[in-house]
Amino acid sequence: MTFLVERISYSAQGRRIVKAITVEGDTLTIGRHPSSDIRLADLNAALRHAVVQRVAPMQLQVSAEEGVGVELDGRKVTSGIIDLATGGDLRIGKNLLRFAPTAAGSEEIRVEVEEVGESAADEKDRADVARFAAGAVMPGKRVASYVLAVVVLAVFLAWPLWFVGQRQQAQAQTEQQPVRGDGRKAKAERQERVEVRPVAGFAADRLWISGHLSQAHASLENNCGACHVRPFEPVRDESCMGCHGDITNHGDTERRPEEAAARLARSQPNLTGFARFQLTVAEAFGHNAGRCVDCHREHEGPTRLADTVQSDCTGCHADLNSRLTGVRFGNVVDFGRNAPRPDPEGHPEFRPLALINWDGDRPLLSRVDLRGARENSNLAFPHEMHLDPEGGVARMTQRLGQRYGGRPGLGCADCHTATPDGTSFQPINMEEDCSSCHSLGFEQQGNVVRTLRHGAPDQVVADLREFYRGRAPARPQELSSAARRRPGDIGQVRAALQYARARAGANTSAVQAIQAVFQPQGACGECHVVDQRGPLDFHVRPVAFPTRYLLHGWFSHAPHRRTEWPRETPAFPRGAAFEGDQACLSCHVQAGSSRAATDLMLPNMASCQSCHGGEGGRREAVESSCSMCHDYHLNQGVPAMLVRRQARGQRWHTTVTPVARLTAAR
Amino acid sequence: MATRGAKQIERSRSSAHEGFLQHRNHRWLKIALGLSIAALIVYLGVDVEPRHNGGSWYGYTLGTIGALLILWLTMLGVRKRAMTRGYFSLKAWTSAHVYLGLSLIVIATLHTGFQLGWNVHTLAYVLMMIVILSGIYGIIAYSTLPEALSDNRSEMTRSQMIETIAKLDRQIDIAAQLLEDTEIVRSSLKENPFRAGIFARLSGSDRNCRNARALQDMRARLATATGEQEDAIRAVVQLLERKAAALARIRRQLKIKARLEVWLFIHVPTTFALIAALSVHILSVFYYW
Repeated sequence: MTFLVERISYSAQGRRIVKAITVEGDTLTIGRHPSSDIRLADLNAALRHAVVQRVAPMQLQVSAEEGVGVELDGRKVTSGIIDLATGGDLRIGKNLLRFAPTAAGSEEIRVEVEEVGESAADEKDRADVARFAAGAVMPGKRVASYVLAVVVLAVFLAWPLWFVGQRQQAQAQTEQQPVRGDGRKAKAERQERVEVRPVAGFAADRLWISGHLSQAHASLENNCGACHVRPFEPVRDESCMGCHGDITNHGDTERRPEEAAARLARSQPNLTGFARFQLTVAEAFGHNAGRCVDCHREHEGPTRLADTVQSDCTGCHADLNSRLTGVRFGNVVDFGRNAPRPDPEGHPEFRPLALINWDGDRPLLSRVDLRGARENSNLAFPHEMHLDPEGGVARMTQRLGQRYGGRPGLGCADCHTATPDGTSFQPINMEEDCSSCHSLGFEQQGNVVRTLRHGAPDQVVADLREFYRGRAPARPQELSSAARRRPGDIGQVRAALQYARARAGANTSAVQAIQAVFQPQGACGECHVVDQRGPLDFHVRPVAFPTRYLLHGWFSHAPHRRTEWPRETPAFPRGAAFEGDQACLSCHVQAGSSRAATDLMLPNMASCQSCHGGEGGRREAVESSCSMCHDYHLNQGVPAMLVRRQARGQRWHTTVTPVARLTAAR
Repeated sequence: MATRGAKQIERSRSSAHEGFLQHRNHRWLKIALGLSIAALIVYLGVDVEPRHNGGSWYGYTLGTIGALLILWLTMLGVRKRAMTRGYFSLKAWTSAHVYLGLSLIVIATLHTGFQLGWNVHTLAYVLMMIVILSGIYGIIAYSTLPEALSDNRSEMTRSQMIETIAKLDRQIDIAAQLLEDTEIVRSSLKENPFRAGIFARLSGSDRNCRNARALQDMRARLATATGEQEDAIRAVVQLLERKAAALARIRRQLKIKARLEVWLFIHVPTTFALIAALSVHILSVFYYW
């Protein structure tokens, strides 16, 4: 029995080379060991990898060494049988041993051994020096470039555009279905459409946001379309007015927006040089001047609406009168210009709206100069007498201890009650503010005091007549119509005579009393101007005060209720404070000495300037730019700047020059 | 005559080697520095209400300059495929590319007004900064690494390096024939240093090197082996050691090469992403005016 082992290899040209050996015996050892019958120079093979043994005339038993396997006809086995009639392939490592089919009875078994290792192509590939380049293991630059660019365009352009398209479609659909009717439901629906509501989910066009919106508009960040209505069109005022519809345009006091806009345009200084060029460029891109967003810049981060910078105002108002005729106020540069010696050119003196005269019962109001201005309220009221801590009023208040706390003289707050916003005061009210001293009582019945009706002179006349009639003698019995009258009854005549005399006396008393009441020193005439139109026909002229003197400036008494002197002086240590009347009188200095109600006791500008400096003015002054007292949008209420400051919890310090100093200077 | 003289000077000047960074006595460095300083001075000087950003007149100006610069800088990719001499030589172009590219840091940052956020605008800015930083890295790499690369090669060609490994593999294969257990040696033969990904290449790490593991294992085995096996193992260990050295050289080569080239794989694709983002940035600004 012989094994004919043919080793097959190929030359570089591909020629087949066969080297044959013969192995005598029934057993064929295969392995890496040099003593093997078939030595495999392959590290994948074990030293003694397998043994092939003839176990039957036509059968070979293949047994692999423990732990290693062989591949017999494609199956991984540790042992197996090769049928010599059909032959078999035995694979060990890189080598293929082909047992050729053998005819029955043959004593020679041919085995071809061929190395089936790597191909030449693999070898060549291994020698490729291009593999040194980093590019061998990186995605191609071109591919990566396209992929990245497409991803950026898809996420940051296509997605937002698609989103905007969807939104516009939805809007168009809603607009096509107008809400009809006046019912509550229709109104609610209309309101809902006007309202700017947050968009659910992530609005893709938010990827285009150029900066956070201001804090007030933060809820609109997911709703670009609320302001950016049409593509490639600058944000228009209409978008703002959708919510801020009730705002007044600057200078539009008569609510005639077009005139105001024209006036506003005329009032602006002519731009020159670079500013002119900027405006031209801006207009070329549709950014017309005067839009809301010119001042109210958005996308500047989560900002709060900043205080209006003074230059925004003085840009026009510094020389407004040179461009605009018919302006009823002077040019303004700065409230505290050159303070502490204020410059009259810095800010025009206050010209309050005062009640200067009457047209019958109709008050005539006019702007007046503070100097020498008289107010004609039709009320006589000497402040000096009432505030004097000595004298009749003082004794009176002491006597009425319960109400005035035993203080001698009145305090400001005893009559003047501020409105809740602190801007103005409640109208003076006779019953509440005056009547505790100025009693209109004329008779006491038990605990009840009968008083004359205030504000109704005819009633007063009637009440007094009635009162004196009531005190007249009762009609004598003799004059009773029930009794039979006898002519010449002397008693009756006497009674009638006496009665007539008594009645005439009572009547005279009533007339006298009525006239006394309306006399200049009387209960009415003491305070009021009384016109006598007939013998007993009296007319009390109406009393009126403007509720607000300074219309376009704003002042709140509330923060001025306690005032501090900011500077440390020999007379006033730091923190010297005034409260109550002292605080009031520190501004309304004339009040303590005013003898007539016609004195207009509004503080002048200098009084304010003793504490309030202009923008960036004196160090110790309260920095007060235009927006401290004025509002661009002409709101009658608190200037937006102060509202915002208060809402943000910022306290504004109020300081007022001490009374003594001001009175001394006067 | 004068022109010919000038041309001659031109020629003699260009004959001496002068890197693109020093080109013409740092002409483009000076120009770029001037541009940046001017931009900064104007930025600090002009009063823009309420604050500097891309939407002010100065912001638009800087933005336009920046966008045009980016497009021009990108043109280097086209330009470099055609070499010419003189003023618009590729060297001059590259020099301008580097320095004007660096000046973009100043111009674009001032354009943002330091207002950054999570949006396409900042995306464009970040991409631009990535491009510039990768470019800065590229300049540093090009000026320092080629020397290290040739030091590492020590006169060998790349093919020789590969061939050394192949030869050693064959020797190991033969030497290992007598070993009882060859699995670990076989794994060394399978070691392919080029298999390493970009990060492994950049770090030059051989953490997963099968040859190193085989060497370690065979050394350990050497301590206990006796007789014929000991001799065989010793022979294999020696070969594995030589292979380790050859592999280390290849790895160093790969490392330097990767460090030299990797930036372009960031620089170029990011540039295209930047141009896409820049287009969206400009479009979106006008879309939502």
